[in-house]
Amino acid sequence: MSLGVVGQSVARKTNIWPYLLIAPSFVALGLILGFPVYKLITLSFERYGLTEIIAGAGVFVGLGNYREILWDPQFWLILRRTIFFTAGMVSVSILVGGLLAHLMIKMHPVIRRILNAILILVWAMPQLVSISVWRWMFSFDFSIVTATINSLGFEMDNHNYFVNTFSGFMIIGGCVAWGALPFISISIYAALTQVPKDLIEAAEIDGANSRQVFRNITFPILLPVYIILISLSIIWDFQVFSHIWIFLESRPSADYYTMAIYAFQKSFGLSEYGKGAAISLVMILALVGVTGYYLRQMMRMGDE
Amino acid sequence: MGFPVYWMVTTSFKPKGDILSTNPTIIPRSFSFNNYVEAVTKEGFLRALINSVIVVFFTVIISLFVALFASIAVARMKFRGKRTYVASILLVQMLPLAALLIPLYLLLSKLNLTDKLAGVILTYIAFVLPFVIWTLRGFLMNIPVELEEAALVDGCTRPQAYRRVLFPLMAPGLVATAIFAFIQAWNEFLLAYILLSSQDNATMPIWLAGFTNRFGTDWGPLMAASTITAIPVVIFFSLIQDRIATGITAGAVKG
Repeated sequence: MSLGVVGQSVARKTNIWPYLLIAPSFVALGLILGFPVYKLITLSFERYGLTEIIAGAGVFVGLGNYREILWDPQFWLILRRTIFFTAGMVSVSILVGGLLAHLMIKMHPVIRRILNAILILVWAMPQLVSISVWRWMFSFDFSIVTATINSLGFEMDNHNYFVNTFSGFMIIGGCVAWGALPFISISIYAALTQVPKDLIEAAEIDGANSRQVFRNITFPILLPVYIILISLSIIWDFQVFSHIWIFLESRPSADYYTMAIYAFQKSFGLSEYGKGAAISLVMILALVGVTGYYLRQMMRMGDE
Repeated sequence: MGFPVYWMVTTSFKPKGDILSTNPTIIPRSFSFNNYVEAVTKEGFLRALINSVIVVFFTVIISLFVALFASIAVARMKFRGKRTYVASILLVQMLPLAALLIPLYLLLSKLNLTDKLAGVILTYIAFVLPFVIWTLRGFLMNIPVELEEAALVDGCTRPQAYRRVLFPLMAPGLVATAIFAFIQAWNEFLLAYILLSSQDNATMPIWLAGFTNRFGTDWGPLMAASTITAIPVVIFFSLIQDRIATGITAGAVKG
């Protein structure tokens, strides 16, 4: 009995090291990420405008912000638009990325190395750089895309792709998906190379056809990778901000509002920080469900 | 796939007349450095470059130090609350940055850190930390504990064992994660855009965004400036690409 107590106190003494080691990261994350999350929650229940900024404190309004937002038809329109836009970008980037990866496995090594180099090059493009180039390719004047379409015999002359929101979102989404492709296809390719060859050979010797090999060996190995990539893509694409903002020269019309832009405009544009916070929180909650699986998967790795 | 990059580089070397042409040619007809001269002599280039270097330098050094300590605790030690700590690290990694802009801005303005590079550095450190800790932890797990234990048996203290045995073995992992943090801090736009209002504090991405104004966009110099901004990332990226890709998915594959 007493021996057990002594053992415990010794263990507790030696255990101070890990806490000292994680302390700095804990403080940094708590200050810059933890506290803002808390602040976001309280803000969403407050009226916080220019007067409140000067006064240094918000006015508690209960669920007032949420009521106003959820009763606003514009909110639902924007939410639906954001979901469609996200779904489009995620599916295109996952489908094309997956296709590229499965092709890479079958390619001649020389061609694969060239494709790999191109993927890395695209991957390395800073966000602002890739946005700038895409804007140039689809600009109103002297655009290479317009020139190519004209040379094919369709007369467009100068064309503003952003007057029509559908083509505008297609181009913005294309730029986002293009930037995400390298990470996706290289990750899937890496997973494909992990599929053990001898396992496939053994299955083939035992008489499995190629569909059975795919269903019983390749697919189970790839599934978690796909799920992680899809979750990550949803998180990234749902909050796309800079692309829309810069493509539309820092003043997107209401037809281009997505959740991120909407929250930004409400707070930094109209100085209604409480409402902006409420929109942001809805955004986070919308992502929580989707990311649940991803988190569980990562936690399992943490336990190893 | 690679066309936008090709188009950026070729445009950047075209003379003005070839850029402002209704019949652009895929293969450049003539060659000129004018766009580069115009880009680097544009107001604010040197300032933005210096600011970016300062931001990147401090972000990388501080985040690496902080993450190194944390990753040793997570990978090598058992302690109460470890699961919660790891979970919170993974959780914050998924917070949408766009949703945190408002409270971050209000917090930093209260701390008098808006429109100061220090404020941006502080937020960048927090935003790269989760990934850096997670990746370093992965590298650490691949180094056998027996090596440190042998050093301890041979009479090293624990800090000595870390310094003489563990850190040298971790060097490649540290370099890879440092480059990752470098790229993040070099590329980031949104936070810098919100937090830094004066031109004197602009970083490279902010400077790039400044090429478009009321009168339109100067495409030639913008493409030259974009190429300049991309070059350091391309160089560093080609050094670590295979590590990052396998690092993220390896655990999932192992199941």
